[in-house]
Amino acid sequence: MSKTILIIARDEWRYWQRSRLSLAVLIIALSLVAASVWVTKVSNTDNAHQRAHMQSQAEHSFKDQPDRHPHRMVHYGHYVFRSLPPLGALDPGIDALTGNAIFLEGHRQNSATLADKKQSSGLTWISSLTPAFVMQIIAPLLLIILGFSMVTREREAGTLDFLKVQGVSLLALLAGKGLALVTAAVLISTPLIIGVMISVINGAGLLSATAFIASYWLYLIIWSAIVLLISTLVRTNASSFSGLIAIWILTCLIIPRVASNTAGVIVHAPGKLETDLAILRQLREIGDGHNMSSRANSAMRDSLLAKYNVKSVDALPVNFKGIVAQQSEADLTKVLNKFARQQMHQQTGQAEIFRYFGWLSPMIAIQNASMKLAATDLENYHEFLQQAETARYDFVQSLNRLHAENMTLEQDSNKYRNDVAKKAATVSADNWQILSDFSFSPLSEKQRITNSLFAISQLLLMLGALLATLSFAGKRL
Amino acid sequence: MNWIDIRREALFLISKKSIVALLIIATLLSIFSVWTGSVEIAQQRATIQRLIDADELDRKAVTEQYHDYGYIAYYTFHLTYAPPSPLAFAALGVRDVYPWKHRIRMLALEGQIHESDTQNPELALAGKIDFTFVVAVFSPLLLLLLLHDMRASERAASRYDFLMVTRRHRYNLWPLRAGITVALLWLALIIPFIAGALFNGVTVGLIILVSLTVAAYLSGWAVLCYWVSRIHASAPVLASLILGAWLLTTFIIPSAGNVIIDKYYNGPHGGAVLMTQREAVNDAWDLPHETTMAAFLENHPQWAGKTDTNSLFEWKWYYAFQQVGDEKVQPLAEAYQQTAKDRYETAGWVALLSPATLLQRQLTQWADTDATAAWQYNDKVRSFHAELRHFYYPLLFNDKDFEKAALQKRPEFDTVKKSDE
Repeated sequence: MSKTILIIARDEWRYWQRSRLSLAVLIIALSLVAASVWVTKVSNTDNAHQRAHMQSQAEHSFKDQPDRHPHRMVHYGHYVFRSLPPLGALDPGIDALTGNAIFLEGHRQNSATLADKKQSSGLTWISSLTPAFVMQIIAPLLLIILGFSMVTREREAGTLDFLKVQGVSLLALLAGKGLALVTAAVLISTPLIIGVMISVINGAGLLSATAFIASYWLYLIIWSAIVLLISTLVRTNASSFSGLIAIWILTCLIIPRVASNTAGVIVHAPGKLETDLAILRQLREIGDGHNMSSRANSAMRDSLLAKYNVKSVDALPVNFKGIVAQQSEADLTKVLNKFARQQMHQQTGQAEIFRYFGWLSPMIAIQNASMKLAATDLENYHEFLQQAETARYDFVQSLNRLHAENMTLEQDSNKYRNDVAKKAATVSADNWQILSDFSFSPLSEKQRITNSLFAISQLLLMLGALLATLSFAGKRL
Repeated sequence: MNWIDIRREALFLISKKSIVALLIIATLLSIFSVWTGSVEIAQQRATIQRLIDADELDRKAVTEQYHDYGYIAYYTFHLTYAPPSPLAFAALGVRDVYPWKHRIRMLALEGQIHESDTQNPELALAGKIDFTFVVAVFSPLLLLLLLHDMRASERAASRYDFLMVTRRHRYNLWPLRAGITVALLWLALIIPFIAGALFNGVTVGLIILVSLTVAAYLSGWAVLCYWVSRIHASAPVLASLILGAWLLTTFIIPSAGNVIIDKYYNGPHGGAVLMTQREAVNDAWDLPHETTMAAFLENHPQWAGKTDTNSLFEWKWYYAFQQVGDEKVQPLAEAYQQTAKDRYETAGWVALLSPATLLQRQLTQWADTDATAAWQYNDKVRSFHAELRHFYYPLLFNDKDFEKAALQKRPEFDTVKKSDE
């Protein structure tokens, strides 16, 4: 039995070697995958260098600032850049669509700026030369051209009956043909595997890298099964080809976009501006970090006076302005974080609707699995925003502590009087070392694999259903 | 060729189940794209309306809270936006990546204008299905399925020779059959579009223009399919050839062109623009006021003699150094913008090799949803920011006492005004 399968598989390969169309397809597929791996690798290395360079430049310029009033440094602010995870060189995911830098300052959570897509030629509106795109969209098409006639050909030529008479079961025939197509798929994916190995050298986790390759293989095996199934079920080469192309159009081009439109229409996620305005409305009740006399601040003043048992804020051992700044930053951040979480929640809600369409289209499922494993999905972007926010809050509050503890209220209030008074209300530049080095660390490997399980189970279930149908067809026909 | 021939071929085509199915799919997709496109545009309009209301409320609160031009200029944001055009429902364009709304205040603009308030990136990655996509990317595949086996299928059905012998004129058969197929597909796609266009208030001229462009585009692909279908080979080989041409022009050429263009046109990194601007603005705090004011006067000579300051902090000095910071980074910011423009323009040449991209660029241009429209909006924001500055400068530099009534004349963002006025 197994020998028959191998013979059939080898025979199919021999057929491909003789057919100019099939040879052309194999060569095109291999060179496309190889080119995409190379091109994306090169451009990602450039990007990574630039962002790392910008990051260290931002850190240096912060730490090189002269002696100053600490609140000046709160507004001087800091830039953080999002580095690309190693597997991002194979699947950049949403990297080009999201901003890759955030300006961190007091009293505000800025959005990420500088999306690469805004600087692009606009030619990548439906395609991009990334390994992910080539493997997810183009490779299935090439598998179709390679395999649409695998069974119909035998049927049209009448060799199918001949094989049956010789005692070759249809199931064995299907297994052999399927084996041939899967080996072709694995061959097409070799440049991807080399790319993954390079990423592992660059620090990608072995487990997620393996899962990455495995999920792409799973995807290609699903397509091999689809090709085989249609070729088995229909009568002629022509209808097999048309049917498969229709399935490809539907699952790779139409359903993902229908899913995207549907998610956008069902869940309304207000943008940053609208959220900002909603925040402002809520903030008017909280008090401003620059304003000492608001109602919220007077309650704090009373409690401080009571705590230190003094009559006026001037007699406090700490600078009351600095205390106000600390407290209001803390209150403000609570509100900002609440809204930020809400916004992330809405975006994730949209993405989840989108991901459910993975039950209909294996392309959506592999795209998700791939982005999740490569750490270039929405959740990892949100993780970046959260890490940036933590960095922001830390350095702003350290500066506010300096503001409260390293000068008196009198010095602080008189800072614009003259140059001597200005000098008195500064702290030493040594303090700017409070800034810790920022480097974005994506979700842990374990977390990423867990997150990808939903998409991978969509793929597995689809493969199971296809194999069951195939074996059913193999027995009946 | 007469009506009898047309009727015969039309009836023949309609009697084929696969052709009817493909036409129905085309109609459904066109309806879906027009419907969701219209919903998207309605959402954008509603968002703008909500923003206008909330913005007004916020501005009112700020105006009540402060009694000083400096503070008011600092805390007052102004909403700017680019409303979607009537045709935008059919070509959603790059509005999911390029911002079409900003809130601007009188601080240095370079620190504000690169912010992006965009949609869910994961949905943007999948792309939206709009009428442009249905026509540019999807319709060639439908034509492929409809036309590639025109002759091959008749050969397979052993009718080919019979048909060739009995036709009265060489135009009576294949060109007629192909022509009717294209016309039917065109109707299937364009009727939902026209309905959507009328609903969204697109002008009749533009509707006709788009309809003719779509017809021309379909005809181009139909000619290719027709020409390939004459080759004496099996249907799948013919389809593979057309598919190859589609894959090459629609996917491979644009994405390869993008790689080359990105490599060839290099400008400053956006981060450099932002950080240079920040340094310029922040350094001013430690510079003597005269230095900043001298730099400011170079481009604003009308305030000469009014730039002396009495305290270490004065609002006129504060806004002067914001402006000087912008001016200092201007060459870099322009180079950054120029890189994007160069890339987009060069892409126009690449688009000549990619009909789908050419169509997409044309439709998004008509719909004002392309990158060019986004830059025009940016220019409008820049000129509005300038208006705002020139409104506040007299109040600040002339040391005018605060009067709430003066704010009545404060400029409002006007979406209609041209950026170069």
